[in-house]
Amino acid sequence: MHKDLNSFTALMSSSKIFIQQVLALLAKDLKTEWRTREIFTSMFVFAVLVVVVFNFAIGADPQVIRKVVSGVVWVALVFAMILGLQRAIQCESEEDCLHGVLLALHDRSALFVAKVIANVLYMLLVAVCVLFLFSIWFGIDLTSCFFALWIVLVLGILGFSFVGTLFSLIVLHTRTREIMLPLLFLPISVPLIIASVYATASLIEGKSLTDITDYLTLMGVFDVVFLVLGLLVFDFVVEE
Amino acid sequence: MNRARMVHLEGVTKRFGAMTALRGVDLELERGRCLGIFGPNGAGKTTLLRILATLLRPSAGTVCIAGHDAVREAEKVRPLLGVLSHRTFLYSHLTACENLQFYGRMFGIQKLAERITEVLQAVDLEAHAHQLVRTYSRGMQQRLAIARTILHYPVLLLLDEPYAGLDQHAVGCLQKLLLQLRSESCTIIMSTHDLHRGLDLCDEIAIQSRGKIVYSGSSLGIDAQGLEQLYSAYVE
Amino acid sequence: MLSRSAFTLWRMIHAVAMYVVVGLALWMIFVYVPSEKGQGLVQRIFYFHVSSTFTMSLAGLVAFVASIIYLWKKAPRWDNIAMSAVEIGTLFCALVLITGSIWARPIWGVWWTWDPPLTLTLVLWLIYVAYLMLRANVQDDTKRARFAAVLAIVGGVDIFLIYLSIRMWRTLHPKPIVIQEGGTTGLPPSMFWTLMVCFVAFLLLFFYLLRERVFLAQSRHDLEIIRQEIDDTLKG
Repeated sequence: MHKDLNSFTALMSSSKIFIQQVLALLAKDLKTEWRTREIFTSMFVFAVLVVVVFNFAIGADPQVIRKVVSGVVWVALVFAMILGLQRAIQCESEEDCLHGVLLALHDRSALFVAKVIANVLYMLLVAVCVLFLFSIWFGIDLTSCFFALWIVLVLGILGFSFVGTLFSLIVLHTRTREIMLPLLFLPISVPLIIASVYATASLIEGKSLTDITDYLTLMGVFDVVFLVLGLLVFDFVVEE
Repeated sequence: MNRARMVHLEGVTKRFGAMTALRGVDLELERGRCLGIFGPNGAGKTTLLRILATLLRPSAGTVCIAGHDAVREAEKVRPLLGVLSHRTFLYSHLTACENLQFYGRMFGIQKLAERITEVLQAVDLEAHAHQLVRTYSRGMQQRLAIARTILHYPVLLLLDEPYAGLDQHAVGCLQKLLLQLRSESCTIIMSTHDLHRGLDLCDEIAIQSRGKIVYSGSSLGIDAQGLEQLYSAYVE
Repeated sequence: MLSRSAFTLWRMIHAVAMYVVVGLALWMIFVYVPSEKGQGLVQRIFYFHVSSTFTMSLAGLVAFVASIIYLWKKAPRWDNIAMSAVEIGTLFCALVLITGSIWARPIWGVWWTWDPPLTLTLVLWLIYVAYLMLRANVQDDTKRARFAAVLAIVGGVDIFLIYLSIRMWRTLHPKPIVIQEGGTTGLPPSMFWTLMVCFVAFLLLFFYLLRERVFLAQSRHDLEIIRQEIDDTLKG
């Protein structure tokens, strides 16, 4: 009945174990979210609220609205993501599930990757819904730059997820989680906020992808840097 | 490496800031033996077990499990361990089956569905396999935690006060399981401050007080009363 | 390392040197160097402002390197150094922002603009504050040190990206007011030397403060250990 020590590790190579564990973690997170729908609904509702409040704050001048639309979208998305990250990390701290997971993990960065993928999926879904509402409420035509917009969204959301996931695991051990996550996350994400907002704004104004290559490069570099950093320091963040 | 020696600790010290939880703990356990660690609260039993579980790193000393250094080769050691702690490590919004499926996939267990049925039968939860863990009573959750612990055929079981707060049904399941596992040469280390329970299970006993192992020896010929005497002798 | 007496001797030498050079710098700023033609008396704040910029960046660099060494060696001394550097960095960063505003008001007519260097300094200040708040909010000592080190490293790497992005951002917005580059190009010799002496003074000041702060942190740590040992001995 008892398996030999080496059979599991011998049967598969390291990378296969990694992928299998990432998929198992991802399946577990998505299954839980499907059942409760807590994370997606809180993110979506919050993003919508932010947009509505901004609408009152900015006023009705369509010229002004066109100028700030991109900023409002990203503010709504970023703050919604912070909220979502808080909730996502909450369920790992109940019943100490994080320790259960750490005991089963071969390479701890699998947890980082799985959490990032889950977060990106939720965020893309929220972004679709928010942009759809945006185009209706503010009469902004997004169909012309649709494809390009998605590239910017993916690059931005990916980068924010890397930073956010890393910090959400740090913040798990702090006393005032609600303020600590935005406090850590926002200053560090300044490059991505700037690049995402201005890339999106340029696209909405009618520019093409080739016009925003410098922003896209910055976003790409940010993403790569934080993926590498995240993987490097993740062990230090989760060990006791 | 001496394969008969399952656990070997030498000079293990753990400091949390200025507080020292473990001072130079030495421990040795052969494969297939069962060790009971008795001691009052604050003796460092949980810290010791967490170090054995690779959840904590020692400040000093070496930890060897099944011939591997538990600090440097932690990922080789982890699949061997079954850890039962105060918290259940279970996801409340998933069913028992889904929880076990998750852990099974993480450990790469072959023929997972059959194994899940097997462990659920062992803890008498087969009828409730598809209910959400949220709806379970505390006793049921603990039984499921036991199932989770043994799911991946661990060769070393680390049980931190396993009888604390268990209901009668769960105690019965646990006793039966542990006896069965011991007959299959599974190594068990159990900490408790209940001097009576578990004595019949343990081959060896150790008494821990204020971060040190103050007594260790075989449990042969020691009954509950004898243990009580030893305890009061070594622990104030 | 050094014996206690040698250490104290170095501290005294350092302190004396610092006081002398700071005194010299103050004399040079307020007495020796002539007033700048266009800006008048208020321009003297430039020496404090630029030197503080130098120190705040140095503090960031020290914290970054010390944090990497801490994660590598796990010695608390390096964590103390990183923390002290960030504390001092926060102070000098705030000084940069404040002296910058005081200088800007009479010269440019505004208290603040979102120019790249100012914005960068503000974001850096926010990161320093985030570091200190993180430390204040984590209770476990080892975790606090580790998390702070991670943040310092992430921040240090990120600062280049922040600089690039802010520059990109500001090229979109032409300067509303024609701003004179505050006398940094083609400085006359008296101003140049005053600035150099200021740099040395602030450098000595930074390392003096750093040394004292690290010593304080280390002493606190030693005190805690002694307290714990006394507690343990009293308990028997």
